[in-house]
Order: sequence, then C-alpha cells, then structure tokens
Amino acid sequence: MKWTAKDVEVYLQEKEYIDTAVIPLIPLTLEKNVKSIASMGEFVQIIVGELERQFKGRVFLLPPFTYFTSESMEEKIKRIADWTSQLTANGMKHIFYVTSDTEWKAGEASLPGTLLWLPSIPLEHMDEKYKQQIVMDQTSQLMNLLISKWS
Amino acid sequence: MSENKHRVSRRQFLNYTLTGVGGFMAAGMLMPMVRFALDPILKEEAGTEMVAVAQVKDITTEPQRFDFKVKVKDAWYESEEPKSAWVYKDDKGEIVALSPVCKHLGCTVNWNGDKGNPNRFFCPCHYGLYEKDGTNVPGTPPIYPLDRYELKVKDGTLYLGKAKPRGEA
Ligand code: FES
Repeated sequence: MKWTAKDVEVYLQEKEYIDTAVIPLIPLTLEKNVKSIASMGEFVQIIVGELERQFKGRVFLLPPFTYFTSESMEEKIKRIADWTSQLTANGMKHIFYVTSDTEWKAGEASLPGTLLWLPSIPLEHMDEKYKQQIVMDQTSQLMNLLISKWS
Repeated sequence: MSENKHRVSRRQFLNYTLTGVGGFMAAGMLMPMVRFALDPILKEEAGTEMVAVAQVKDITTEPQRFDFKVKVKDAWYESEEPKSAWVYKDDKGEIVALSPVCKHLGCTVNWNGDKGNPNRFFCPCHYGLYEKDGTNVPGTPPIYPLDRYELKVKDGTLYLGKAKPRGEA
C-alpha cells in the first residue's frame, strides 16, 4: 500500500490484513555533502518502493520521515515516536524504519520500532544490470527480515 | 567488462553487497531462480504491446521467475513499471506465464516459497497458496486463481502481453 487514495481505499476495507508500516527516514541538507545525502535518500526510496511492490498486501509504505541533518537526535526520536504511536494506536503491529543515515544507529536503542539500515550505494553511475541486481539483493534481504518478524 | 568504466568497480560492488545489510541478514532463501530479461533489451514488438521476456530454450518444466519492464502512461507522465512472471512448460509442453501478483491483496508470490507446501506458489503476506497451474488452494485467503499473461513466441523468444484473470476456481 502506498499513501494514495486508491490504496487507502483498500486499506480501509482490509485493515486487519495490513499490519506493517514501513517509514523511510530521509535526511536533508543544503550545506555539507549535499549530493551524497541526496543519493542516500534516493537509494532508500528505490528499495522501499520495491519492497512495497513485493509486499503490497500487508505493508503500508508511508511518505518519508524527513529531517534536516541539523535536527538533534533527541528531537527526531521524539517525532518518530509520535508517528509510531499514531500508527500502533490504529492497529499497526510492526513498524520498520528504513534508512541509510548512519546517525540513526546511535539512536537505535530508543526507537519504538525496528531500524533497518542499508548501506547507501550510489546507483547513478552503475550499469543497468548491476543496478537491478543490487536493488534486488537489498530488497530481498529486507523481505527476509520482515518475514522473520511476521512469523 | 572494463572495470574503470564504471565508477563503482567490481571490488566496491562486492564490498557493498557482501558487507552492508549482511549484518542483520536472516537466512538466505526466497526468490529462488530470479532471472533478468536483459539481453533481448526489452524490445517492444512494433505495433503490439508485447514485451520480450525470455528465450524459449531457457524455459523448463519448473517455474522460473523472469523480470521485465513495461511502459505505462499515466495521464501526464510515462514511466517504466517493473513486472515479473513465473514461466514454465506444462505437461503438454505448452508455455504458461503466470502473474506473481497474489489475488488476495497483491503481494508477490513465490514458487516453492514455503517448505511445508512444495510445488506450490506461496504468498508470504497471509500465507496464500496456489497450485502450479495457478489455481488457488481453498482455505487460504485468495479466492481466485493467478492471472495468466497473454503470450506469443517468435524466433525463439517469448513475448508477454497483458495479465488476464481466469475467474473463479
Ligand atoms: S496478499 Fe497474498 S495472501 Fe494476502
């Protein structure tokens, strides 16, 4: 499911089957390392997009949780905890945060859901074949993690 | 394949894939035989909407997954949508191409995806099951069989068109 009117319609009818929320955590900046930070976000979005395609019927892919890199970890955790409690209060049982931003590792212990960290792989100069293979590999690892949490 | 052409060298590529998420990897399984329909570069047959997906000689009696892309036009922009098909030859030697989209709520099904149910398609989301020919197994969430792609073979290449529903089983 994605955050679109069409998917939400299905969600409203089939709520009991859609118990997993995936939130991409996407950093922003216009100061340092702008390009690599943008490419991190791009990569994560591609992977969660593919994950959603594979698990459409059970996973709700939320719009990204975005933050400027200058925001304190404390502040971010507060906000993400708020997102999470909104979701769990409405029946979501599994909450996953997907990011390439290493900063989150420091805050992992205080997160109410599961952090899935991906290495950021710059896809832009890669040929199509490698690209597909990498996206597929990374996605299938995430899929296995979700499956193991489900069972 | 010359390494210095790509900014990501073979070594980096290996590092990326071998380290990375590996840290929290659960047992590797799933997606058993993923094949990419890359080489017959997704050529569209002129005038039709069929896409080259596989070489007939690669198709066996065991379902294999082939990935491909189709162009979709959405009111104001055009994009490429990734698709997959489970393709095999049935007892009569005829090619069958099933859509992997679960008829329950749309997750992607896998051939032999569940150890307890060999020779069936399995949906990991709510444990839907289908027989090899796509027929849904009663008592699991899906109530329709998997869609079948329209297909044609030309010069040893398999082309797929639209996935069509087969109706209630
Ligand atoms: S989406 Fe396949 S069983 Fe529910």
